[in-house]
Amino acid sequence: MLTHPAYARPETLYEALLFLKTHGIDTRPLAGGTDVMVDLRAGKLKSEYLLDISRLKELQGIGLSKDGLSIGAGVTISEIYNSPLVAKNAPSLIKSCAFFGSPQIRNVATIGGNVGNASPSADTVPPLLVHEARAVLASENGERTVALANLFEGPYRSGIRPDELLIRFILEPADGRFTDFQKIGRRKALAISRMSMALLADPKEDGTLGTVRLALGSGTPTPMRMEAVEAFLKGKRADRQTVEAGSRLMAEEMVRITGRRPSTEYKEKAVQGLFLRILAPLVE
Amino acid sequence: MDTYSVIPIRFTLNGDKVSIEAGAHETALTVIRERLSLKGTKEGCGMGECGACTILVDGKSVNACLMAAPQLEGRTVMTVEGLGREGKLHPLQEAFLEHHGVQCGFCTPGLLMSAQSLILETPRPTHKQVVEAISGNLCRCTGYQQIVDAIQYGADKTGGEE
Repeated sequence: MLTHPAYARPETLYEALLFLKTHGIDTRPLAGGTDVMVDLRAGKLKSEYLLDISRLKELQGIGLSKDGLSIGAGVTISEIYNSPLVAKNAPSLIKSCAFFGSPQIRNVATIGGNVGNASPSADTVPPLLVHEARAVLASENGERTVALANLFEGPYRSGIRPDELLIRFILEPADGRFTDFQKIGRRKALAISRMSMALLADPKEDGTLGTVRLALGSGTPTPMRMEAVEAFLKGKRADRQTVEAGSRLMAEEMVRITGRRPSTEYKEKAVQGLFLRILAPLVE
Repeated sequence: MDTYSVIPIRFTLNGDKVSIEAGAHETALTVIRERLSLKGTKEGCGMGECGACTILVDGKSVNACLMAAPQLEGRTVMTVEGLGREGKLHPLQEAFLEHHGVQCGFCTPGLLMSAQSLILETPRPTHKQVVEAISGNLCRCTGYQQIVDAIQYGADKTGGEE
């Protein structure tokens, strides 16, 4: 059954934030609509207001500065996919956008919506995590910056306060380090990730791994960095034996964090396979 | 700031200016198909999985079922009805007929719009680009090969006319 939320279209970010200050708790922001309109149709949208933030200029733009690579929350998945700046500085994010939904979805869905919806399977989140992305949030009181890793509170609970909007993300550029994204879905297009993984690694000249950052999607209640696996790999040579031991640790960690569920038997094997696949280019 | 249960929206639909009042609980699909009676744009799944409702908004393919009607404000929209003219099919439409890209026909308008979006950006698409461009459109009859052939052939013909 369709609910009938009222519609509001702010002209400026300030106007949007003033609205949220009063009505935040009863409001769902509307950008690309690819999650919101599905919820609306399913009768799952309980909000009194839809705040259309899709035209706010303050949420647009991709830029590089000394702070890092900045991506506006209102930037669409297509815009990211076609951005030479992102291709150079965060290639794994480009890859997550290449397999995101479908062309029609990518043309309207935004990175802010993907993150803000806080789905455990949000495709852009594992790449953002390995780039140690910071989320900039604004309310009428001002801005705050949070490490994305600390933003999520649980499945579909983003930790964004009702009076706040996601404004942009700031990523640490890859700077020539190896990065990749891998995903398993039921079909190639439009598949909700059954599991996804992002890696940023820095193999040294002596063959050992310097920085290793590894993030898992759909395997834990929120996408997260797998710090125990990172620590295990760091300083080691990426040989067959190490990587296989790493893949077993990856599965153990996932189960330790998530607990055993009906899907665990599948996911334990899937996570190991995905881990071996993403590390394969670094294996001696 | 005002809030609206229905809001006046103005947009261009297949070259004509349209004014209508709609609410956020309505989708672009409802407005186009039910209120403006352009029945070429289909509702399949209603949740962005099948692509039967694909339209072009400012030249880009989108799922009309996932767009809130007020978001059409100021946009330039093309549906399958805007592709050809009365009595004259668009080269893509002719190609679908010639290459047997149509069986039951339910997915065809959406596929045509995805194809049109592709050739606006890439006038001479490769096989891979065609497959990628229609990855958000489901067809349960053809097995896709005829559709891919039709789009490549149609793109050549479209380019040839310009």
